[in-house]
Amino acid sequence: MKLSASIFGDSFVGILRQEKTATPLQALVAQLFEESRDDVYRYLLTLGLHPPLAQEAVQEVFLRLYTSLKKGEDIQNPRGWVFRVAHNHGLKIRARQSNEEPFDANLEARLSTPVANAEHELIERERMLGFHRAVEGLSEQQKRCLFLRMEGMRYPEIGSALGISASAVGEFLRRAVMRLRKVHDE
Amino acid sequence: MMNDSISRHPEDGVLLRFIDGELPGRKARQVEKHLQACWQCRTEIEDLKATVAECIRYRKNVLAVHLPGPPNPWQDLSRGFARIDDSVSAESFFARMLRPSASLRWSLAAAAAIALVCGVIYQLRDTPSVQAATLLKRAVAASVAQPPKAVHQVLFRTSSQRFIRAAGKASATLPPTMEAKFQTAHYDSANPLSARAFQAWRDAQAGEQDEVSTVSDPQTPTGNCYRIRTVTPAGDVAAATLMLRTSDLVPVEGMLEFRDNEWIEFSEFTESPDRGTVDASNVEVPERPAVPPSRLAAVPPRPTVSVTEELQVLSALHQIGADLGDPIQITRSSDRITVSGTGVSAQQRQRIQRTLESMPNVAVQFSEPVAAAIPEGSASAEPATSGTARVPAPNSKIQNGLEEQLGGRAEFERFSSQILDVDEGVMDHASALHNLAQRFPAASERELSVENRRVLRGIAREHINSLYSTVNSLQRAISPVLTSLGGAAARRAATSETDWQTSAEQLFLASHRMQVLLSVLLGVAPGRNSGDLPSQVLNAVSELRADLDRCQQLLAQEGGG
Repeated sequence: MKLSASIFGDSFVGILRQEKTATPLQALVAQLFEESRDDVYRYLLTLGLHPPLAQEAVQEVFLRLYTSLKKGEDIQNPRGWVFRVAHNHGLKIRARQSNEEPFDANLEARLSTPVANAEHELIERERMLGFHRAVEGLSEQQKRCLFLRMEGMRYPEIGSALGISASAVGEFLRRAVMRLRKVHDE
Repeated sequence: MMNDSISRHPEDGVLLRFIDGELPGRKARQVEKHLQACWQCRTEIEDLKATVAECIRYRKNVLAVHLPGPPNPWQDLSRGFARIDDSVSAESFFARMLRPSASLRWSLAAAAAIALVCGVIYQLRDTPSVQAATLLKRAVAASVAQPPKAVHQVLFRTSSQRFIRAAGKASATLPPTMEAKFQTAHYDSANPLSARAFQAWRDAQAGEQDEVSTVSDPQTPTGNCYRIRTVTPAGDVAAATLMLRTSDLVPVEGMLEFRDNEWIEFSEFTESPDRGTVDASNVEVPERPAVPPSRLAAVPPRPTVSVTEELQVLSALHQIGADLGDPIQITRSSDRITVSGTGVSAQQRQRIQRTLESMPNVAVQFSEPVAAAIPEGSASAEPATSGTARVPAPNSKIQNGLEEQLGGRAEFERFSSQILDVDEGVMDHASALHNLAQRFPAASERELSVENRRVLRGIAREHINSLYSTVNSLQRAISPVLTSLGGAAARRAATSETDWQTSAEQLFLASHRMQVLLSVLLGVAPGRNSGDLPSQVLNAVSELRADLDRCQQLLAQEGGG
């Protein structure tokens, strides 16, 4: 999807009718915010941000999107743009945090908590725990590429966010997938 | 006859790119045709898709469910939209106000185009003193009109200290050395990051020269800032700079530059509200004390840097092992060498910064701090590095054979971890050598001076030596086991490359092939597990050794010290 201040798709007509006080551009960004904010928030948590700062950063990123569009910037892939800006902004915030928030601070414990459900659920949980540990074992770059790819970003977009080439992204992803495969095959 | 590029199995990594739609059209069509004929690769694709599906399940069932949710309800963005609308309108008005007469517009446009090329978004060249005064006046008015921010801290930096303080807290004293600097400058230390403080200081100067430009916002790369720099002809302060966000004229960064080359920088610092404001622990030595980033941006273009300096940087990074593992990129432009990297650990970052600190014209940019820490006491605190990742249960004949040879499952796992570690080391050095060869291909190398060639080859030779060492370790570890499983290495014909760079390329490919085969052998990558695997692995190692020999020979033959 391509976004600019002057180009709107038919899908936004409904929103325009509903939110008569919002401009079309505001409605557009508000819709994207609603659709993607949780994904961006989660990504920032995996980057090591504290939850309140991650949430604040998400809102800031979408307001920046609005500012850029308002100034006439032509954004070909707004979701990719949001993740790229969120990544860079997140790194800056993380650098200022006195300590990094381990993204799995409670996650491992929750996954390890025994459940009284059916056996297949226990097996699934055990499998996901193994997968999670394997993800944790990836290098930082492999993880970043993987998480951004999971969010639907293409190699060049990931490369642009991380400051590496698309082919390097391919290589990091290959290594990541190779390591995760063995968990899957267990 | 079937085209060779179609009949051959795609190289490792190509299939993932294929299913991700990242292959160029021609290559994608070749893979597509190959897949029609090849069951093995179709199965490989299915396996990749299964891992991708597992990633998505992980995202949906683990990350989405178990990561903490947002601590507060999501706010409606409409208030933010309204604020942006207002500031963009104000900005437009302000831009109109500053616009020169019609006759000057073309020259302004030309100046803006040149400034764009230089990395500056645009530069206002007309009557800078008037612009500076007008900007400051508007910024002071804006600061009066705007309610103060709930949380606002200022980071102070000098060449040797760093301090964080809540903005406007005059009672919160700065460290004496910092306070002394403001006193010397006759600059308000209570609230230095304010248009009012800058205005008061500027008004007290005589014969000052102003520069006003628009630059990228150092806090938010997508935003812009007006940058006012006032240079004085006399006094302790040589120049002072204030950056005002274009959207709301809020000061985000300022700096005082003294004639004795000292400086103090103060900038907006966003922090969580529950953390301290004035704390002795906030005083620390900055990571790179010599020159603040904004000062780098402020200095005029430097003299051209040469390949000699680039090689010095390369060599220094090589000495500390920074050319291994996650890539450090070195780019040379006309006036500087930029060393950048992502995913580099904090410790390594500091080592790199310390190493390069004394080198002129070198900028260091890292975009990734330390990797996420594993919580203390959690089950994941067990070693999970690349080489010691868990190894699946042996599930094939060859792995059962390995387990039997090694004396049990535990031994097999230890063996696998050891091999994967060594293999990672091989790949690191092979990649580093390959990068070096690509940066300085034979034709480029011929243009280097004798001394530079010596430096380049010195680095290459050290990688070769490390490769010999790791490959020897690998051979020692695997040869007895694989030979007992019936494996045998064939004699390798001598390779025929004519320069070490081409040989390094072959060596890199050979390392890659060996990595793939080892992965299959250890069950890290499924499929392609023929009964002849022990021999294939031994051959791959033997091939790698032959490439190493050839590369070393070429490095010695072609001279260069």
